Amino acid sequence: MKQLPKEFYAAMEELQAVDFVLVELTLYLDTHPEDYPSINQFNQFAKERRRLKRVVESMYGPLQQYGNSYSDYPWNWAEGPWPWQI
Amino acid sequence: MSSHRRVWYPYVSPFDPCPPIKAKAYSTPPSLFLGYQPPNLEQFTPMEALKIGTLWKVFYDPWYSPYEVSTEEDQS
Repeated sequence: MKQLPKEFYAAMEELQAVDFVLVELTLYLDTHPEDYPSINQFNQFAKERRRLKRVVESMYGPLQQYGNSYSDYPWNWAEGPWPWQI
Repeated sequence: MSSHRRVWYPYVSPFDPCPPIKAKAYSTPPSLFLGYQPPNLEQFTPMEALKIGTLWKVFYDPWYSPYEVSTEEDQS
């Protein structure tokens, strides 16, 4: 099973932090639809997440399936390390 | 002891099988009193928010056990 580079862990943690902020903002915006600054922040973080996802996937491989992530060649989404193994 | 903390005193019966716990503490997080969340609240950085579990400083309610001195001062 391929070893993950050291930078992967920092990038993954950052991705998790951005994901958490997006979850919090989504829940907040569900009850505050007119809050313009928060929507701005949400969009910034969504854009940031797309960049981070590319960084993480360049080292790890596809994070999601069914078209949510590009696939490498050969088709290797089932190869390790799995999220609980990293 | 964090200021969100409240205590109640369970009834001690003579037939209690084990030594009684006289005081039991529980936390009343700020979200109980906030109601509708006002906009533009102060936020933590994403990395901090991920670690402590909330994005907005006002909801931060750490549970320190009585034996554990609360390291940071309590922001409530």
